Amino acid sequence: MSDTPWYNRGLFSSLNLRQKTLLTIALTGLLLAVIFISGMMIDANLPTDFSIKMRPPSFDHIFGTDWMGRDMFIRTLKGLSLSIIIGIGASIISSIIATLLAFLASVNKYCDEFVSWLIDLFASIPHILLIMMISIALGKGAFGVIMAVAFSHWVNLTRVLRAEVLQINTSEYVSLSKRFGKGKLWIAKEHILPLVLSQIFVGTLLVFPHAIMHESSVTFLGFGLSPHEPAIGIILSESMTYLAMGAWWLAFFPGLALLIVVLLFDIIGDNLKRLFDPSQANN
Amino acid sequence: METKYIIGAIVAIIAIVGIGAVVLGGGNTHHAPNELVACVAAHGEEPEFGFDPMHGWGYHDSGTEPLIQSTILKRDKDNNFVNDLATDYKISDNYKKYTVTIRDDVNFTDGSKLTAKDVAFSYNTAKEMGEGADLSSMNEAKADGNKVVFTLNKSDSTFINKLTDVGIVPEAGYNNETYGQNPIGSGPYKLAQWDKGQQFILEKNTDYYGKEPYFEKITNLFLDPDAAFAAVKNGDVDIAEVQLAYANESVKGYHMEYFDSIDIRGISLPTEMDTGKVSEDNVTIGNNVTGDPAVREALNVGINRQSLLDGAFNGYGNVSYNGVASQLPWAFNSTFKDGNVNQAKEILSNAGWKDTNGDGIVEKNGTPAAFSVYYNSKATERQAIAVAVSEQAKEIGIDITPVGGSWDDIDPNIYSQGVVWGFGSADPFEIEHQYDSRVAHVGYDNPEGLNESAVDALIDAAMAQDLNASYSTWSQAAQQATSKYPYLWVGSVDYTYFVSDDLDISNSTHLIYPHGGDIWGNIYDWKRVNETQA
Repeated sequence: MSDTPWYNRGLFSSLNLRQKTLLTIALTGLLLAVIFISGMMIDANLPTDFSIKMRPPSFDHIFGTDWMGRDMFIRTLKGLSLSIIIGIGASIISSIIATLLAFLASVNKYCDEFVSWLIDLFASIPHILLIMMISIALGKGAFGVIMAVAFSHWVNLTRVLRAEVLQINTSEYVSLSKRFGKGKLWIAKEHILPLVLSQIFVGTLLVFPHAIMHESSVTFLGFGLSPHEPAIGIILSESMTYLAMGAWWLAFFPGLALLIVVLLFDIIGDNLKRLFDPSQANN
Repeated sequence: METKYIIGAIVAIIAIVGIGAVVLGGGNTHHAPNELVACVAAHGEEPEFGFDPMHGWGYHDSGTEPLIQSTILKRDKDNNFVNDLATDYKISDNYKKYTVTIRDDVNFTDGSKLTAKDVAFSYNTAKEMGEGADLSSMNEAKADGNKVVFTLNKSDSTFINKLTDVGIVPEAGYNNETYGQNPIGSGPYKLAQWDKGQQFILEKNTDYYGKEPYFEKITNLFLDPDAAFAAVKNGDVDIAEVQLAYANESVKGYHMEYFDSIDIRGISLPTEMDTGKVSEDNVTIGNNVTGDPAVREALNVGINRQSLLDGAFNGYGNVSYNGVASQLPWAFNSTFKDGNVNQAKEILSNAGWKDTNGDGIVEKNGTPAAFSVYYNSKATERQAIAVAVSEQAKEIGIDITPVGGSWDDIDPNIYSQGVVWGFGSADPFEIEHQYDSRVAHVGYDNPEGLNESAVDALIDAAMAQDLNASYSTWSQAAQQATSKYPYLWVGSVDYTYFVSDDLDISNSTHLIYPHGGDIWGNIYDWKRVNETQA
């Protein structure tokens, strides 16, 4: 396997690494924005047309139609935009929680132990189980799913940030600041936060794919949303019924689309990491 | 990271192809010609408490064949009552006392004799547990020699229907917690094995007193709809009940059989305004949109039922305007034609519902004509009804939001929002459950809160009449009730089965299909037609 990924080869080889990275980020970002915005503009109650039900993919309906004659392309798009909303919500809430906990851990030994204990506790419960429990506790529905995904994805980021903060705390300039009589809050704000900001940013983006995957898993299992609403998980679980009839397009395209969106977020995250952390970019 | 997902994608694709290969690949499982493998059951579901009539086995909106137990009466293909355990029955002039003579040559499968005491015990226990038939009008059942005397607390000529509803269990050693796993009955079959979540196996009861069925052994599988269809494609089953979605498929070696049912789907529309009233269980009652009769009438007139059925039921159903299936003796013709959007709009505007803000949805006193319709998310035909009605209603300016969920999600909204129901019983007493104001907002009875004293009076009158004479009174009660449009009735669903070409399920002798009905009613007439093929 070559060191440069596929998207950094070929056509764009005349650009330097930084330009290529920026270009990749811009293109993938644009694509996601298009998916998101077009999905937002679609009414969740898609028109049904029983006269064209279960049609395989054609030029009129490039992803085919389902058992109620709804266009699967539009349904998938709407589902993806819902996934992205849930992803955004989950990522932002997760990184806020992670940042707060990481700084809390740096206050003193007991706080650090408490945060470590919390991380271990949440890491020891399977994600999907935690999501289901929170979602049921919050009364199911879309809100329950968003909150559940949000409150279960801060663990990894917290662990990374805590280590980072600990490391910075032991550095010479921090102890120098301390001897100059600067308060803990001032050090956190002026020394630590600017250094971990890039970590937080990249971490937020890398939560995205997980959040989306988990959102589709819980909706697949039937939590949260009504079965006529277009969430990717619901679309996939519904398609199982019709696979036996040979309606492969009901599962294939939405599944593929989900995979692509997840990959796109992953690409952005990785490239941002390269951009913010030049030492890694040379790897 | 990426490689992980790409590997995941490849695995997923392989899995899909794999499933496809399994589904499409052949492979016939052979079994003896006098053994039957089926995948049918009422609602396609496994009985939670096993095969215990006290817990409702053999009963759905009206009696269905319990197979393992006998009932006092059965129905025939023309929906007449025929004797099963009874040799004779007498009904008192005031319909308050039913005396049934029980045949004396019947044994349970454990060898003990079935007596009138067992019958009385079964009815008293069923009433006490209240999980199956509605025995609310029964005071008690008492054995008197070879007779059972049912005394009622009011005149009830429909009670004869209840004599088909309860399977008879032996009084000696009955335990309502263990009986369901090891049922002892006197029906044509006995339970040989029950693998929970998978299947049950029945073997012929050699002591059976009635017509001997052809099949020695019946294996009934509990499968999800897609698995049931896959089993048909594989040739693993002789007969499978399938969802309407599969009804237009064709499978080699099988043919499609479908039977009209009296199982009707409709949406309840709360008839009261929301005045802060709550039911005994603290569930909100009333809705300020459907509480206006004009909205209910407009929906009934404006919705095109036939196009709904063609879509949602794949065409396998019959339109119903009033919730009474045409096969029933108390059926009546509708007073209105549907699919008339202009008339619906006129009804709305005459009642003061006008679109003042140009959003396509009418308003009255600032309230937009918007409400929700809840449906059980497991039932695809109910989902399709909710979604399709919501779409059609937009054309007449009513905004309906479909909401899917489990019954636990639906229950807090049953008296205040629309709900997609399935109803259908061969017992006219169902009209009491649907429309009688005295049972309003009790469980799933009269969820729309219809309060019409004329309806109540007609129901009382019908129950004090001879059953055959009472049908016209029941019909009047239903007509009186439906003139207020308490429901948006849509249509009856057909029961669809894939049947192996070498199996004869005697199409001409099928019993009426009530809500939740099953196909076992004429098992006595089934046979293998070409044994060499099996």
